Amino acid sequence: MPFKQLLIEGLAMGACYGLFGLAVVIIYKTSEVVNFAAGTMAMFSTYVAFHVITLYGFPFWLAFLVSLFFAAVLGVFVEFFFIKPAKNPTLLGLIVITIGAQLLLGGLAGWKWTADQQAFSIPFSYKVIYEPIPGFHISQWAIAVFVIAFIIVTFLFLFFKFTKLGRAMRATQQNKHAAKIMGIKTDRVFAFSWAFSSVIGVTAAMLISARTILDPDFMMEPFLRAFAAAVLGGLMSIPGVLIGGGIMGLLENFFGYAFPSWKPITAFVVIVLVLCVRPSGLFAKHYVKKV
Amino acid sequence: MNIKKMLTILFVPVFAMIFSIDLGYARDVGFDDEEIRVGQWGPQTGPAAPWGAVARGTKLLFDLINEEGGIHGRKINYFIRDDQYNPSQTMAAVRDLVDRRGVFAFVGGVGTAPGLAVQSFLRQNEIVWVGVCTGARAFQNNPWLWQIWPDYFDEGAILAIHAAENLKFKKIAYMYQNDDWGADARVGIEAVLKRNNIKLLAAIPVEPTERDLSSQIARLQATGADAVIGIMAPTQAAIALRTSVSVGFKTQWLHSYNLCDFPLMNHITEGLWAREGVMTAAFTDNIDADTPIMNRYREAAKRLAPKERWGLFYTAGIAAAEPLVWALQAAGKDLSKEKVRDALNSITKRQGIGPVITWTKDSHLPPRQLRIWKCGPKGETIVVQDWKTITLESGK
Repeated sequence: MPFKQLLIEGLAMGACYGLFGLAVVIIYKTSEVVNFAAGTMAMFSTYVAFHVITLYGFPFWLAFLVSLFFAAVLGVFVEFFFIKPAKNPTLLGLIVITIGAQLLLGGLAGWKWTADQQAFSIPFSYKVIYEPIPGFHISQWAIAVFVIAFIIVTFLFLFFKFTKLGRAMRATQQNKHAAKIMGIKTDRVFAFSWAFSSVIGVTAAMLISARTILDPDFMMEPFLRAFAAAVLGGLMSIPGVLIGGGIMGLLENFFGYAFPSWKPITAFVVIVLVLCVRPSGLFAKHYVKKV
Repeated sequence: MNIKKMLTILFVPVFAMIFSIDLGYARDVGFDDEEIRVGQWGPQTGPAAPWGAVARGTKLLFDLINEEGGIHGRKINYFIRDDQYNPSQTMAAVRDLVDRRGVFAFVGGVGTAPGLAVQSFLRQNEIVWVGVCTGARAFQNNPWLWQIWPDYFDEGAILAIHAAENLKFKKIAYMYQNDDWGADARVGIEAVLKRNNIKLLAAIPVEPTERDLSSQIARLQATGADAVIGIMAPTQAAIALRTSVSVGFKTQWLHSYNLCDFPLMNHITEGLWAREGVMTAAFTDNIDADTPIMNRYREAAKRLAPKERWGLFYTAGIAAAEPLVWALQAAGKDLSKEKVRDALNSITKRQGIGPVITWTKDSHLPPRQLRIWKCGPKGETIVVQDWKTITLESGK
């Protein structure tokens, strides 16, 4: 068994899942909504980068910034026009709204960019490979994934721990009404969390599409993996999600190596097992049902 | 309840029923003095979207026929339905075309699973179906279906013959879509390898929705395979090649004829298809072929479908529809389903831009001739094995 190769590839894809899982968790942390449109939103914003690169000849980094800005606006847009107008919504109602947003954005992307597969390149190529140990290869793409994941998680840790806005987001999650009484503008916090989540989502989506392919469905499967990673790590725990992503990537890679036919169900088995055995996930402290 | 209310309650559903049924279409048997209605499903969106060009290629042929006055004075009214490569949607699309549009015949139809979902329905309704876009064996022995896409057994066999007998590779592995397509081709591959005393090193399945193929590639890499035969959709083939390059796995990839659109595959693999010299099976003319018939279609495409890319999947749609056109022409002005059936059963050694076709009353099987193409360094098509007839006993 090529242990080292499976380890590094599993961790790299796992880091992508973990990063994308963060996009899911950030919204869940503030509003307890599982955003099923997260994958499609990330896909849409990746297409924006692709669009400005191919049509207007933007250099990658400028297109990246445009895409981040668009993602933030899209996050606020979805929150403002889809989530906010819901009158006394139940949790299930909100989830259904996100599924509706997913269908709408997916349809729009198919109409605008067609369903044709496209190649999306980032400056860190999977074609450039290094061989630090004989027989063991690591691509520039995998190194970039690790570095970017590390930077984002460190930033999030510092953001939630030390910034006013980060603390406001945590307070809103813990008790929306108390946060309001304390002067926190919870509406803005919700809008910001959607924008923030969307920006992290598109970063992960770009890394995934650079290794796979770009089409309107390319984030469907990674979203499921990322969701499984988030459930595994704990939907309330930021480091937990990233670790969950790593475990998910490793599990899928090693299990897929040993039993290729069963690989596609790994994520579902993980979700079911975690929900049955430890519903709060591996790293969230405990599951509290709000009343 | 007063009379007015009662009448409203009674008449609203009746009117709704009347206006929801397209009486003009549902009444007859798929044609009238003005038109012949033909349908096709295909993935215009979803994971297999590049194959959606097949249905649009068929449209080009019918538009060309209509431009020239139709067939015996009748225009072809052609309907395309997007099933997203999803069998449940294929069924809905076919029911719509049969029940509401009253189509006379179907052409093509991409995919094994979508085709299987509707095969018994079309057979029961005795609807002419020409050139289903799959070589799965589950479609054989259908008296209303005439096949053009080579049997996947033959496809697996030609790829294995080229790898084992022409290129003399001894270490061969297989990566396949986990359905009838992959299973049928595997039988052909193993039959060829057996006669060469070669054992298949590994057979690794992949699902059409999978996007991370790291573990599958690691497994293939661990076998040390010199050649990997791949039977999978374009997306998975592209990801498999990208992944193998990213982990330094050098091997000769030989893929299905469904992936022989080199410009497309080269585009979505960022040039790797050409750099790695990927080979595929093929059963049509090269799209750049300088033959009168190909030139005629190419010119028609420039005129009638200027926005379409002139690619292999697009021309495959033409190849799928050609025999139906021949049969409609041979059936004469006094058209009937039976006459078209008999005309299709009488096609003998006839070739358009696809393979040479011979069908009889007892055999609607696809041709057994295939060739092997290689993607050259500039993305061009290099014929490395010209038409070869598979004579291997397929065990049918």
